[in-house]
Amino acid sequence: MIDDAIQPGAEVTLIVDGEPLQARRGQTVAVALLARGRRVLRHTRNGGHPRGLFCAMGVCFDCVMTIDGLQGTRACMTRVEDGMQVSTPLRFEGREQA
Amino acid sequence: MSAPMEADIAIVGAGPAGMHAALTAARGGARTVLLDEYPEPGGQYYRQLPADFEVADRSRLDPDFTKGDGLLAEVRAAGIALLNEASVWGSFDGGVLEVMHRRRALTVRARRTIVATGAIERPGVFPGWDLPGVMTPGGAQTLVKGQGTLPGERIVLAGSGPFLLPVARTLIQAGRPPLGVYESTHPLDWARHVLRLRGHGDRIAEALDYRRVLSRAGVPIRFRTVVARAEGSGAVERVVLMDCDRQGRPLPGTERLVEADTLCVGFGFVPSVQLTRTLGCRHAYDERRGGWVPVHDDDMQTSVRGVFVAGEVAGIGGAWAAMAEGALAASAALAELGFEVPAPGIEALRRERRHRRAFGALVNELFAPRPGLLDLVTDDTLVCRCEEVNAGAVRAACRPWGGNVNFIKGATRCGMGYCQGRICGPVVEALLAAELGLAPGTVDHFHPRTPIKPVRVSDLASLYND
Ligand code: FES
Repeated sequence: MIDDAIQPGAEVTLIVDGEPLQARRGQTVAVALLARGRRVLRHTRNGGHPRGLFCAMGVCFDCVMTIDGLQGTRACMTRVEDGMQVSTPLRFEGREQA
Repeated sequence: MSAPMEADIAIVGAGPAGMHAALTAARGGARTVLLDEYPEPGGQYYRQLPADFEVADRSRLDPDFTKGDGLLAEVRAAGIALLNEASVWGSFDGGVLEVMHRRRALTVRARRTIVATGAIERPGVFPGWDLPGVMTPGGAQTLVKGQGTLPGERIVLAGSGPFLLPVARTLIQAGRPPLGVYESTHPLDWARHVLRLRGHGDRIAEALDYRRVLSRAGVPIRFRTVVARAEGSGAVERVVLMDCDRQGRPLPGTERLVEADTLCVGFGFVPSVQLTRTLGCRHAYDERRGGWVPVHDDDMQTSVRGVFVAGEVAGIGGAWAAMAEGALAASAALAELGFEVPAPGIEALRRERRHRRAFGALVNELFAPRPGLLDLVTDDTLVCRCEEVNAGAVRAACRPWGGNVNFIKGATRCGMGYCQGRICGPVVEALLAAELGLAPGTVDHFHPRTPIKPVRVSDLASLYND
């Protein structure tokens, strides 16, 4: 945390692409990933290009992923919950990736 | 089918404008509904930390986190029906808003509606702006203020406009000063407007205060400098800066490299008008207000009777104008409905609004996006992030498809994705106008389609199931 006066909420565990990920209540899914050094949130549908947080406030839809079975959910607008299932469109199976 | 929620005044957006509108409406005795997309009210200006975070001693926090405390407490105590995580996705009937509240569909029927949906950042468009690590300045600020988290290690802040300063300050207070602030205009460009600053001492003091914070932290500000491109494999690693001329045109031979993992570029804001368009309000293009704005009268009523606007959606003007307009719009709505108008009353609010708007117009003029910035948008630069359309494809469509951005949308798919052109719209307008040699504001704008926010059909079914 940027300031030790700020304490994030209780620990929770998400499952991201099958792997457990620790996060703190109140965090968004995008920030939970960023806190673990994950800047790439998905790869694009056509070009397979990496994308990360862009607007961080729900406008650009660049952070969309599948959360608890719901496709196209904005990771920057979704708060973590214990046992939440997240799958990032990372394993791109289209054109060759650079 | 579940019964609609009834209100005298419904307000969309709980930023400075929306909160002041709601408070005024509730004080006048109106049944007031305040809808906001985020888990906590406040908007960008009063962005709140999550309720699940614990703060032992709020007085120790930077004022960035606490400046909204008083107002929020008033809003919570005023008997307002505050719905968080509520997106307005459409409207099919006058005075009726279709809302998705978390995953439950809801209809709000109000006698008067105040749209206070705020603004959208105008991003920098250059090769590499789609790399992870490139974000908007507001995005970086949201991470700090709304999540207590830093966007990265080595941060470059660039673009244009006064908003870069509070973002720099936020990063400095959070212990991660940006490597530099790169502004594309120059104070010399502003000099001839100096007289118009009279009477705005409080805003100037604020700007000087930001400057002091930056220089104390050793953060350099460089003028007439633009980000020419971002580079890196898989994420930003390097930023290429260039000097530019008065028109924003990058000057050959001035390239220099900065190593950075985070690059925040923004050129101010554009009004967020998807909802006012959906409601059928007439819009006009006004550069001094940030682009397309709903046309409104002295008391903020739009061309659609019963629909008012307040704050950035009515033209970029800053938080102070927004507060006055929120209170003004609600006062006018109260008067129309026969309620008592609380102090300070319509006349005083009109004066306050005019005063704040004059400063906002000046800022918009000084920092209007320079035409030369389009030089950075090379043909292989991405324009539409959602549908992955590059500038070359947009330019190629300009001549055959002519002077309306909606034809370009049809021809290239740009603006058809999830964000509905919120991000690429202004860029596509600028590219088309430049390509055909037309003035900005003459090539139309993307028409939003309902739902203006994505909704799931299965969630909509909740309207009928309970
Ligand atoms: S980063 Fe823009 S919507 Fe999430």
